[in-house]
Amino acid sequence: MTAWLYASIAVAHYFTLLVLVGTSVFVDLRVLGLAATRKPIAQVGEQIYPWMWGAFCLAIVSGFLMFTTDAGDYLPDTVFRVKMATILLAVIFTIVVQRGVAQWAQLPSIPASAKVLASISLLLWIGSILAGVEIAAISGLG
Amino acid sequence: MQTHVQTSLLPFCRHLQLTSWATAIRVSVWMYPFIQLIHFSGLSLWLGTNVAGDLRLLGVGKRVQTPADVRDELFVWNWIGFAIAIFGGFLLFSARATMYIVNPAFRAKLFMLIPTALLWHIFVQAKTRAWGESAEAPVAGKLAGLIELLLWIGVVTAAVEIPNY
Repeated sequence: MTAWLYASIAVAHYFTLLVLVGTSVFVDLRVLGLAATRKPIAQVGEQIYPWMWGAFCLAIVSGFLMFTTDAGDYLPDTVFRVKMATILLAVIFTIVVQRGVAQWAQLPSIPASAKVLASISLLLWIGSILAGVEIAAISGLG
Repeated sequence: MQTHVQTSLLPFCRHLQLTSWATAIRVSVWMYPFIQLIHFSGLSLWLGTNVAGDLRLLGVGKRVQTPADVRDELFVWNWIGFAIAIFGGFLLFSARATMYIVNPAFRAKLFMLIPTALLWHIFVQAKTRAWGESAEAPVAGKLAGLIELLLWIGVVTAAVEIPNY
């Protein structure tokens, strides 16, 4: 892979992963009652989630292409595996929050259990960034 | 002019790099990635909310809310994200200030692309109130959103290129 092609894919990966985490965290903050409280929660979710999943798809594709350039080193790396597991959990909790948003919108106030789920989703996305930077710091990859 | 900027900033960078906290970040094994985490977390909020506003102006994705509504709901965390990103970025810079300040990609990022993108963002954010009243933004609004999107892609490109110089 040429240097400019790799750089282009890296730009696509960083750009889309930042959009992914930012938009996901924003909806979590809305569920927590810390953002956009004057806007109905279902409306916020419906507007933001399609962008989040679009960014997610692009981040996965670009990330997979980066992975293929050095798959033999990435695959056995513990920090890389932790990152993949963290992302998987973050996706699961994001789907749970996304499904919940439609139901919580019907209630007079957002239940405490919803806030717990949103907090977990938020922390998992921040955790996946931490795992990402630690791959370079601890394993020296990337 | 660039050489002038470089020479006038170098003593400041040297001083910054020798402060106790900048030294602590540089020599510590765990602090640098931890501050990278702060920088990237703030950046994700900043960029995520910027891009959401731009995509809504462009009409890409769902049109549940008007561009003006999207702008209003994102506004506070947009700037909280910016503050976190700047805080983390400044700490990362201070750890190796003399190295960063002579890096062409870093200088393009800090002195050209970020000021341009930032000013453009403030302009777009202010104008979106008027552009975004109805579901469909006018052509000027769409163009402005597209330009902002391209400017931030430019900033990320410069950032990715920093280690290559």
